[in-house]
Amino acid sequence: MFPNSTILGPLFWIVMGGLYTISFTGFYYWITDSIIKMNWWKWLLSILWFLGLNITIAGGFTLFGEKEIRAGFWFLSVFGGVFIVLGVGLWRLLTSR
Amino acid sequence: MDEDNNKFNRRNFIKTAGLASGVIALAGAAGAGLAAGSNKDSYTGWGRTAYGEDQFFNRKPFLVDTPTYDKVGETRRIAFIEDLFKRNGELSRLLFPRGDETPLWSFDEGVEKLPEPLKTYYLEHPDALGEFRKAIEKSQEQAGTWDKYKHKYLLADAWSTAHASPIGGQGAFPPQPHGNPEESDFRGVNEETLPLKSPAHGSSLIKQIAYSFGASLVGIAKVKEDWVYQGYMRGVGKIDFEVPEHWKYAVVIAVPHEWDSMYANPTYGTSYDAYSKLRFIAGKLEVFLKEIGYAARSHVPPTSYEIAMPPLAIDAGLGEQGRHGVLVTPELGANTRLAAVTTNMLLEPDKPIDIGIKEFCSKCKICAEECPSGAISFTDKPENVIRGYQRWNINQDKCFTIWNSVATSHARGCRVCLAVCPYSRKNNWIHKIVREVDPRDPTGLFSSAMLAMQKKFFTYPGGQEYLPAPDGNNKTFGEAPDWLMTEEWFNI
Repeated sequence: MFPNSTILGPLFWIVMGGLYTISFTGFYYWITDSIIKMNWWKWLLSILWFLGLNITIAGGFTLFGEKEIRAGFWFLSVFGGVFIVLGVGLWRLLTSR
Repeated sequence: MDEDNNKFNRRNFIKTAGLASGVIALAGAAGAGLAAGSNKDSYTGWGRTAYGEDQFFNRKPFLVDTPTYDKVGETRRIAFIEDLFKRNGELSRLLFPRGDETPLWSFDEGVEKLPEPLKTYYLEHPDALGEFRKAIEKSQEQAGTWDKYKHKYLLADAWSTAHASPIGGQGAFPPQPHGNPEESDFRGVNEETLPLKSPAHGSSLIKQIAYSFGASLVGIAKVKEDWVYQGYMRGVGKIDFEVPEHWKYAVVIAVPHEWDSMYANPTYGTSYDAYSKLRFIAGKLEVFLKEIGYAARSHVPPTSYEIAMPPLAIDAGLGEQGRHGVLVTPELGANTRLAAVTTNMLLEPDKPIDIGIKEFCSKCKICAEECPSGAISFTDKPENVIRGYQRWNINQDKCFTIWNSVATSHARGCRVCLAVCPYSRKNNWIHKIVREVDPRDPTGLFSSAMLAMQKKFFTYPGGQEYLPAPDGNNKTFGEAPDWLMTEEWFNI
């Protein structure tokens, strides 16, 4: 990540860990304040969806980094599209009574 | 009331911060991906080589007792004339003798007038002679058109020539052996040999030493007679010989080409970068083995071999042979160049591996589709039986014609098949997932899905496009690195 530093890489991932923690805490508060009733598998699906979205974005940009621009766009379009559809499905599942 | 309000605000703040953090985390994932893709540290073989860290693939789950090549009939050793470079060298000496001597043979005289063993070879392979003639014509065309390209490819050509400089002539390293292997391989050997603790100790030591000299991958195999050339021995000349007894084991070493230039084949890549590295590694390993009391002989590219490298490397567990005839390793893909050192030091050989390359290649065919010479087979399964072994066989003569056709100063070769191989990818997380999952999937569905993506997502110019005009447009598979692009540094 930071080729000329041995400290910035670990710091980056510590910050990323903090960001994920805050985002899940915020999501938890938001859910508990809403009418959505969650159970363990709904939490699991939500976490997997967000994780998958992150991996998709990282994957596309990895290909950009390799100068495989066309492959990166295809990757983001196909898997990003899949995750948008899955996200809509997941939302409907979470909000269904 | 104030307390309630504060609670409410704090809760709202965390909710808002959570949303913002999620968005920033996604941006962080994009940044991490971008860094992983562009990071030069993920070019295997050019980083932590000295400590063996480039041989990162865990081979244990894929070890097999029998190598993955198929023995289907009576086997025999490889006649030296079956080697393209040896054969072409013999023919070139007849056609273009040194000085002002008149040619000893011309194409118009026909095959019958060729001396043995060329005559027998070309009678059995009539197309090969025509292809060689075509290669010479292309070479002359290439020389004529080089003026058009010499500025554009100046840096690539100079870089290639610089890498080639330790290969030929009196300053070559390692020096060519002189005399019988029973003399030359023992010349300079320390008379005192300490007792080795065990063959396993010997293997571990030699591997670590080879890594320290710059080898990316190291494997050890017993020398199998079938892989030893017949009819020519360096230091002796044309001679039929038995495999020397002291060639008990071969330490097989592999390094990749510099990755960015390799992707930019055929015009920006060269074979000589890997060749010169291999020669230094193998040559130094030969000296090391002799210093600790063992006979040793290095077998190095481009032509200083008595042993065929790919099958030896398969025996040594480094990888498997692909459709393009090149060794495919889990770490380097087809971007794998090989050398070996034969020795009588007692070593523990490695086991061969089966990571499903044959099954992968039977589906992929990208190298065959992209080969500018059409030398690579399209058959689903290996159909050729070569000296008793069934495998895909490339048409070496057609391949050589293209070497003489691309826009390089002279026959610098073409490594498009190495560059386009889906296994020849960087060691970053996205390719690592594929590299680890594919050999573990017995259904083959994963590789089929990856191949579908590979063919749809990635750009392939198509075989003819790699050639100069009028046949093509001097396309390269990958973008040339800026440090090899003359226009980045000079006004042309």
